[in-house]
Amino acid sequence: MNIAWKEIKKNKAKFIILGSIIFLVSFLTFIISGLANGLSQDNAALIKDLPDGQFYMNVDANETYNLSRIDESVQTTVLNEQKDAAALSIQMGFVNDMEDKQHSIAFVTSTDSKSFESVGKGEVILDRSLEEEGIKVGDILTNNQFSGEFKVKGFVDQKKYSHAPVAFINMENYKEIYRVNEMQLIFVPGTEKAQVVTSLQSFSNKEFLNTIPSYSAEQMSLNMIIWFLVAISGMLFAIFFYMMNVQKIGLYGILKALGVKTSRLFGMMWYQMIFITVIALGLSVALSHGFALIAPKGMPFSLTLDTTVQLSIVFLIIGFIGATLSGLQIKKVEPLQAIQQGEV
Amino acid sequence: MTIFTIDEVTKTFTNGEVDEQVLKGINISLREGEITALVGASGSGKSTILTIAAGLQRATDGKVLFEGKNMTDMNQDQIRKIRASEFGFVFQSSHLVPFLTVEEQLLLMLDVSETKLKKREQQVEVEKILKLVDMDHRKDAYPASLSGGEKQRVAIARAIIHKPKMLFADEPTASLDSKRSKDVMTLIRELTKTLNITTLMVTHDEDMLTYADHIITMKDGLVLT
Ligand SMILES: Nc1ncnc2c1ncn2[C@@H]1O[C@H](COP(=O)(O)OP(=O)(O)O)[C@@H](O)[C@H]1O
Ligand SMILES: [Mg+2]
Repeated sequence: MNIAWKEIKKNKAKFIILGSIIFLVSFLTFIISGLANGLSQDNAALIKDLPDGQFYMNVDANETYNLSRIDESVQTTVLNEQKDAAALSIQMGFVNDMEDKQHSIAFVTSTDSKSFESVGKGEVILDRSLEEEGIKVGDILTNNQFSGEFKVKGFVDQKKYSHAPVAFINMENYKEIYRVNEMQLIFVPGTEKAQVVTSLQSFSNKEFLNTIPSYSAEQMSLNMIIWFLVAISGMLFAIFFYMMNVQKIGLYGILKALGVKTSRLFGMMWYQMIFITVIALGLSVALSHGFALIAPKGMPFSLTLDTTVQLSIVFLIIGFIGATLSGLQIKKVEPLQAIQQGEV
Repeated sequence: MTIFTIDEVTKTFTNGEVDEQVLKGINISLREGEITALVGASGSGKSTILTIAAGLQRATDGKVLFEGKNMTDMNQDQIRKIRASEFGFVFQSSHLVPFLTVEEQLLLMLDVSETKLKKREQQVEVEKILKLVDMDHRKDAYPASLSGGEKQRVAIARAIIHKPKMLFADEPTASLDSKRSKDVMTLIRELTKTLNITTLMVTHDEDMLTYADHIITMKDGLVLT
């Protein structure tokens, strides 16, 4: 006989309250992590969406890509050895549209490569978000450092850098705007570390992201919030299960007196905990993904099923540990105590 | 035939620094199928010896023999098994499981005692026992909706549905009025006689003694002879 289920059926209110707590806490955590991921996407989708690989910058650059200047001969050597490699530069800047409205963007230029858009002279490829700001294919954009004009050739999805839309431009144009000849970075896709060039320092994609000061600070605070939420919800779960168990000490004593095994009592508690948690988490996963659909367009929100499933597993484990720790008192319950205490 | 023997059992409770010997060497034997009543002043140790006999707490010293096996040598799980399948209990309050119906209380007990019965047979047993305690019309009721007497009758049904060899009862009628008490005692006597269950029962009430085969009087942790 499934006494765990019988209890849930008879005490619906109690279990619904417990379930709502789990639901609310996990929902909040999912939303925050959707925002964290959204912001990180908004901040660095250009880098995050690249295949795994290595970034190289000058050792002298002090891990700051803006300060990096890669020697042209070094660049030629590396690009010759690694055929998928690309040399690139990123600079924050502005373009003016045809109505002379200024748009903040990140200029990106690179050598021919699969990882970045290649554009001809006088052309520009923009992140899709600028399309929403009213720019169309064929529009002419200008920049006050640049003698020529950029013709918008097309749009690409999810290319953001430092919360700004990316504008891919030709290397010649880039060199003119910023009056430099060297590129800042070389990107080599592939998991193997390319042969080390002594004047260059290598970074994995993740390490490179962390050299962007705004990125690491932002992600650190958001991740901190997420893990605080997880820790707090862990404690909440434990406290709730503890209170439930304390209420049931008398009942556990009676059942023990009748000869019910302690392991069965634990089974009962686990069954209830898993039942409630799975339903609450399921609801919370569904609603948080639903929220992604109705979230306002400008809100950087990006939640993958992977994230919610992983966090759900963490919640399940925490709930399980919380329930089990608080259930340790079941082991200590003396049947006699319950009998002498009178009616449960 | 003797089925249950309490042999020189002592029990000492330690309250802080003070040791209090509550039982000072109790000897009792119970004959199969008989009802033995324990009487004595409050605090004389009746409940303590009953719960030791029932395997709900341990003696400090001495032996408790059930069918020749010494329960004081057994581990917790062995004692639990005996409690589940060979013993039944009735206490002053009924201690029913609040979220189970009358019928489910009994099914749970069949389940716990590992009585090997098919679903259909369990159902038959439950119906039979509920008729005996005259509760068959309330089988779907939850404990909260039962009167004191009704609860106690369900508790008795639960105590014997798995056909235990021993029934331990601690003032089973204390919460009932005298008419209800008589009904409950008549019921216990009838059932234990029909099922050949050996009963050890603590009672306060002189009137209940007429239902017992033997009476043992306790005073200050000793049996008076
Ligand atoms: N768990 C315990 N701890 C300490 N003293 C106890 C405990 N249980 C019973 N006693 C004491 O043992 C004595 C006998 O109690 P009990 O067996 O309940 O008596 P009766 O049932 O005859 O009234 C009482 O003085 C009581 O205070
Ligand atoms: Mg007593």
